[in-house]
Amino acid sequence: MQDNKYFSEKITYLTPFDKAFPEKLKDIPNPPSGIYVKGQLPDPNIPSVAIIGSRMASAYGISMARYFSSHLSGAGVQIISGIAKGVDGVGQRTAIEMGNPTFGVLGCGLNEIYPKENRDIFESILKNGGLISEYPPDTKPLAKLFPLRNRLISGLADIILVVEAGEHSGTSITVSRALEQGKDVFAVPGRITDPFSAGCNQLIRDGAGIALSPEAILNALGLPSESIAPPDCKKKLAGLHLAKLEKKVYISLDLYPKSIESILNQTGAALAELYPALLRLKLLGLISETGQNNYYRNL
Amino acid sequence: MFSSIHSMTLFGMHVQRVEVEADLADGGLPVFEMVGFLSGEVKESKERIRTALKNSGYFLPPKRITVNLSPANMKKSGSSFDLAVAISLLSSMGLIVPEELSDTVVSGELSLSGDLHPVNGILPMVMEAKKSGFRRFVLPMANAREGGAVEGIEVIGVHNLKEVISYLNGSIKIAPTVLSVDEILKNAHDYPHDFSEIVGQLPLRRGMEVAVAGMHNIMLIGPPGSGKSMAAKCMPSILPPLSKEECLEITEIYSVAGLLGDTGLVTERPFMSPHHTVSPQALSGGGHVPKPGAVSLSHRGVLFLDELPEFSRRALEILRQPMEDKEIHISRTQGNYSFPANCLLAAAMNPCPCGYYPDRNRCRCSESEIHNYLNRISGPLLDRIDICVPVSEIPFQELSQSTPAYNEASASIRARVSEAAEIQKKRYRGSSIHFNSDLGVKELSIYCSLGLKESRLLEQAFSSLHLSARAYHRVLKCARTIADLDHKDKISYDHLSEAIGYQNGFRK
Repeated sequence: MQDNKYFSEKITYLTPFDKAFPEKLKDIPNPPSGIYVKGQLPDPNIPSVAIIGSRMASAYGISMARYFSSHLSGAGVQIISGIAKGVDGVGQRTAIEMGNPTFGVLGCGLNEIYPKENRDIFESILKNGGLISEYPPDTKPLAKLFPLRNRLISGLADIILVVEAGEHSGTSITVSRALEQGKDVFAVPGRITDPFSAGCNQLIRDGAGIALSPEAILNALGLPSESIAPPDCKKKLAGLHLAKLEKKVYISLDLYPKSIESILNQTGAALAELYPALLRLKLLGLISETGQNNYYRNL
Repeated sequence: MFSSIHSMTLFGMHVQRVEVEADLADGGLPVFEMVGFLSGEVKESKERIRTALKNSGYFLPPKRITVNLSPANMKKSGSSFDLAVAISLLSSMGLIVPEELSDTVVSGELSLSGDLHPVNGILPMVMEAKKSGFRRFVLPMANAREGGAVEGIEVIGVHNLKEVISYLNGSIKIAPTVLSVDEILKNAHDYPHDFSEIVGQLPLRRGMEVAVAGMHNIMLIGPPGSGKSMAAKCMPSILPPLSKEECLEITEIYSVAGLLGDTGLVTERPFMSPHHTVSPQALSGGGHVPKPGAVSLSHRGVLFLDELPEFSRRALEILRQPMEDKEIHISRTQGNYSFPANCLLAAAMNPCPCGYYPDRNRCRCSESEIHNYLNRISGPLLDRIDICVPVSEIPFQELSQSTPAYNEASASIRARVSEAAEIQKKRYRGSSIHFNSDLGVKELSIYCSLGLKESRLLEQAFSSLHLSARAYHRVLKCARTIADLDHKDKISYDHLSEAIGYQNGFRK
């Protein structure tokens, strides 16, 4: 039944008997009895990838989410995710910024905005994508609903890409649902000592695809792709005419934030010359700062 | 017979002249009446004075005694009128020649034995007396050094009532107390903490040096146990030397607050470190008759707030106005009081609730938790902090080394700071500006002009780092200090870059 209020807010309710109801959601175990939709639904003829990961992401996870999302959505892939904090949100925001379609599957009603940090995504996603939920529009975000909606994320996607996940992450629920549904799972590898990547590395050990570059995923989707070289920081420096120290500082940094003190120790530079070098690199967009004077490379 | 003498009283930091009049009249019943809008402690002085006079060998005659403190429309409090009332009485009894009293100010509290006890606020009183053209100021011996710091007025320290009477009658001579402030300020100090105790922490050391050289507000951000509080405790050892003018300014405040020790002068820049449970009033100053609070007691010195987010929001918001105006205004029914409050605000805080951000191996705080934590400090307050520096955890190797790579002692840092302070003093001679942090928007364009390359850098930094207008001024002031430490007239590209590096990372 379409209530006036929902109708005025452009929310439609679809049951499996509606023509527009996504075929993909009919085949999954425990299919939804109906879904509420605001905006558009994913186009069934275009491949979709779910970019997921932990809510508490490291700088590496954030950069990787951005990197994969920009290449995949640039290649025309629809990005599906849960608009959660961390990896999910970053992946979707990247797609929105590029003007490409992305779809958010919520664990609450469509009238709720959760999490608040991602308000901007809720406001801009409808332009090229949509919001989907199996719960009535005024349902509050309850913890027990979120694991359930994960089956819809994996259900709508053709491939699940886990960007960053710890050992006991909620991401593992989505992965199990995806495996039940017979979807391919890819994981972005991390350092073996990094607790933030422990879940991803475990997935790879268990046989998940290794997402060494967006190319691997595009190939699995059967999409043509020119070879995408892994992000090469050295290449980025070409043509920028960096001073010797600036290069040295840049090379000493990686995707994990480093304090100015450890940059000092590593480069052996004087503090007075380090500030200008860091500022220049920052203004060039090569590095970012987080916290007080902690720096990391941008991809 | 009628007689009168001058005394002084305090209203906040403001000194008001008070005329103490006494009259002895025959006829009627004997009575001792004190009038003139007096508070309880002033009325009580009647008994102290009667007994002190008796124990000094003088008896009040059984007459109608009236004492008036003029102007009578102003509430008077404090115990500093005792001596003036006693002398006025003695003069009206014909025991002191009235001519001796016309160009003299007296102040002091009497004990029952006739001994004199020190009172608060002597320094501002003596200054005011000198300004009003009085020849001498008679005060308790314990206050003599404090009063002696003022040149151009005879400061006579006395021990008891008898001595005052003999002195005023000319039977004994007392040499005025003279204190050479310059001489005292030259003496070196011992500091309990020295920067040589801090291992490594180069960005912190440099940030502190710049902050202190230009008296910029500074914030130390780092994980627990990294040495933020310790570094702050070392600050007094590198503060720029006090000028005589500043020394007297600080002493005035401490004198009014009654916190002056035996030395009679505050010879070091103050360092106040109130606990985070401090009440807004204790910070701003307050009370029925307002006394200076921590902000004023750290005037020309350092106000250190450890664990800044733990302070109550109300207490922190009180800091905003004094940080802008360099003085604090307190309103009471009896009037408005203002106290100077030009201090360097040093604050220390963790980067997140657990304290380890951005070390994600240990920090488990979510972005919204970090956000909420930082939000406890209002933007306008953060906006007034010129320099933010990281304090990092010291690796074990550095701690265990007997001779760490760089642990420069305070003395050599202080030498550089003093030079920079000297440069600023010369530059701002004749104006009310002491340090670069005092620069107003108008002065910035005069003293902090930039070259083409530097202006372009600033422009670029602002558009890409989203800095506010206040941040613009902050960067310029701070760059000015860095240039001064470098002995350069012009602010260079590197100076500016460093100043931008000191901006709060969480707001960049």
